Amino acid sequence: MFNTIGDVKTALSAQRYIPSDEIATTVFLAEKLGKPILAEGPAGVGKTELAKVWAAATGRELIRLQCYEGLDETKALYEWEYAKQLLYTQLLRDKLNDLLAGVTSLAEAADRLAAEEDVFFSSRFMLPRPLLKAITSERPVTLLIDEIDRADAEFEAFLLEVLSDFQVSVPELGTIRARHQPMVLLTSNNTRELSEALKRRCLYLHVDYPTAEQELQIINLKVPGLPPKLAQQAVELVQRLRGMDLKKHPSVSETIDWARALLELNVRHLDRATIENTLNVLLKFEGDLQRARRAMVRDEGTRRDEFGRLRRDDESGRFRGN
Amino acid sequence: MDQRIVDFIHALRAKGVRISVAESIDAMRCVEIAGVADKQFFRSALRASLVKEPRDLPTFDELFPRFFGLDTPPPLQQPGSGMSPEEREKLAQMLQQMLASLSPEQLRRLFEMMMTGQGMSGSQMRQFINEHTTATQMTTGFQPWATRRAMRELQFDRLEQLLQELLQKLREAGVSEAALQQLEREARENREALAQQIGREVGNGLQQREAEERRRRPVEDLQDRPFEELKYQDDDDMRAVINRLAAQLRTRVALRQKRANKGMLDAKSTIRANLRYSGVPLDVRHHRKHLKPRITVICDVSGSMRAVTGFMLMLVYALQDQISRTRPFVYYRTIADVQADFQRLRPEEAIRVVPERVQGGPWQTSLGSCLETFTRDHLDAVDRRTTVIFLGDGDDHMSPPNPRAFEIIKRRAHRVVWFNPEPPYRWGREDNHMHIYGPMCDAVHHVSNLRQLVAAVDGLFS
Repeated sequence: MFNTIGDVKTALSAQRYIPSDEIATTVFLAEKLGKPILAEGPAGVGKTELAKVWAAATGRELIRLQCYEGLDETKALYEWEYAKQLLYTQLLRDKLNDLLAGVTSLAEAADRLAAEEDVFFSSRFMLPRPLLKAITSERPVTLLIDEIDRADAEFEAFLLEVLSDFQVSVPELGTIRARHQPMVLLTSNNTRELSEALKRRCLYLHVDYPTAEQELQIINLKVPGLPPKLAQQAVELVQRLRGMDLKKHPSVSETIDWARALLELNVRHLDRATIENTLNVLLKFEGDLQRARRAMVRDEGTRRDEFGRLRRDDESGRFRGN
Repeated sequence: MDQRIVDFIHALRAKGVRISVAESIDAMRCVEIAGVADKQFFRSALRASLVKEPRDLPTFDELFPRFFGLDTPPPLQQPGSGMSPEEREKLAQMLQQMLASLSPEQLRRLFEMMMTGQGMSGSQMRQFINEHTTATQMTTGFQPWATRRAMRELQFDRLEQLLQELLQKLREAGVSEAALQQLEREARENREALAQQIGREVGNGLQQREAEERRRRPVEDLQDRPFEELKYQDDDDMRAVINRLAAQLRTRVALRQKRANKGMLDAKSTIRANLRYSGVPLDVRHHRKHLKPRITVICDVSGSMRAVTGFMLMLVYALQDQISRTRPFVYYRTIADVQADFQRLRPEEAIRVVPERVQGGPWQTSLGSCLETFTRDHLDAVDRRTTVIFLGDGDDHMSPPNPRAFEIIKRRAHRVVWFNPEPPYRWGREDNHMHIYGPMCDAVHHVSNLRQLVAAVDGLFS
């Protein structure tokens, strides 16, 4: 599919996603080696988005498994459809009567029924969940296992088996092997340590906040109408917020939301009032908001050129003097 | 190149990055696919296959340029490029003479390398250093020092003197001054290259030795050693032990939880769930026990208790996925809620800063008044589903025992458990009030080493 790492970059960029070298290389390697990728990093840096654009760029279907506490095999792999089985039994009652006609003992009746067991435990009555869907799919798929750190340790162990061989065994049916090996992306917000065994089987991708330059590219791509100067200022502010000691730093998705908000509000120039009014798009904790506001007031004296261009000349002159 | 990557993996392991054989094979395959032409891609390929922990990324970034960067020492060159054939003949002759009579052996080898330009490979050089010097017996932190020591033991500074000697002889033999000057310059460049190579190999040697040491050190023993001896242990080692113990506990708890699922039949839920099967109980529901404890830990951070408090908190935070809520408090002369620190920092860092949150000095533990403060300000941290863990020796140097406050906490809590690292014969002596608080607790555990601590924590989940 991809011949060089450059191809990956082009394909992902065509899906309006800006991959770093790191991301492009890892995706390329995953394609070539058929290994799952484990993407870790703060929330909202585009880990889930990567799976989406990866699937789109390769023309595969995306199958998503959202992990949560208490997720188990029946929710992730397959479940027998009891209701349907029951319904069929009811409807086939006459047929069953025929089958059991002329039976003398209970044991014989049970034997005859057992011989027909296969009908009821076939893929007809199986409800495939995301993992099984990905494995049995006719066409190649991309499997996104989102927020694996939220699932329990036991589920992680179970997942290992699936990820290493791409096959699952259903006691009643035997082993089901993958027709096409799915491309797997696991994401984790690092709320707990994942097992070493899982990490060993994956290529590791640490997605961090983008650099100012990359973030500006992203903003230009996602919010095309924003004036370039405003975009520049917005990115600078976000980057500065990330440098501060906050409970939760603004993520890329929040930067995009903010940029969209600025565009909607038809802001021409990023002054202090605008920032104050829209800061809650970026920061979601009251404590963080207050801290950011205080920092901005403090900065007012030293970095006036960023927010109001009033005394720029003498300001820069003073700095040179220092 | 393969050898270089293997060396790199060894160095990473020496720095405490855990890399399995499977991962190193992956790394080789990745490099094969990504190619070595573009350094950025090469680097990402190695990084994706070798480093699986964010905290190991700085180590990778630090070591990568050392192995694949531009600062690899320049190759040695053959000196005497500007000489005529006869002069070169003379040089070879003189050099032979000098080498024949030169001792010690290691200096002879160095001088030979410098003057002929035939150097050693990295591993040969490392062996050479190991054989002739004691530099690699030191620890990695002292690398510049170790390098200087290796140089001294190899008598590296005598090379200059030998060079001058050789030049003098050649001059006497009538070699032209221009050729001599060039020879001198080339020999000096070779010497610089050698010095760089020695420095690097000393570093590699140190790392290699450290890696072996690490492998040899028995981790198992740490479990049975008293806490006081553990606090000087390497952070990484301790974290590894704690993580392993946490994983053990987790599987144990998970297993128990699985079995506990088959509790009492939940009739209401079963009927509701099976309405769709026309009342045939196909899907049998059971009562689930509430197995995720809420924990409030109240830790003594006086000097003697700091080590065990650190371990306890590390263990509790390694088990976060098994606990529905943790509220940590620390006390000394005063008591403080340190939840904010644990939300802001990683547990290891938080443990380092929390003792500063409270006041107190030697012999100033004031448990009684801390309990008073706790019942006044922090009772919201205790409800009927909370297990309150006291971690302390029960000493109180400043205030009388406060069973009334303790009773208030106990009445609100699901359970009150005391972990005490002091041996039981000391309980109740002098300033120790364990004999008052102990009988009021639901359980008292004596925890003087990791094994006992793990057993005690395990008890919380049953």
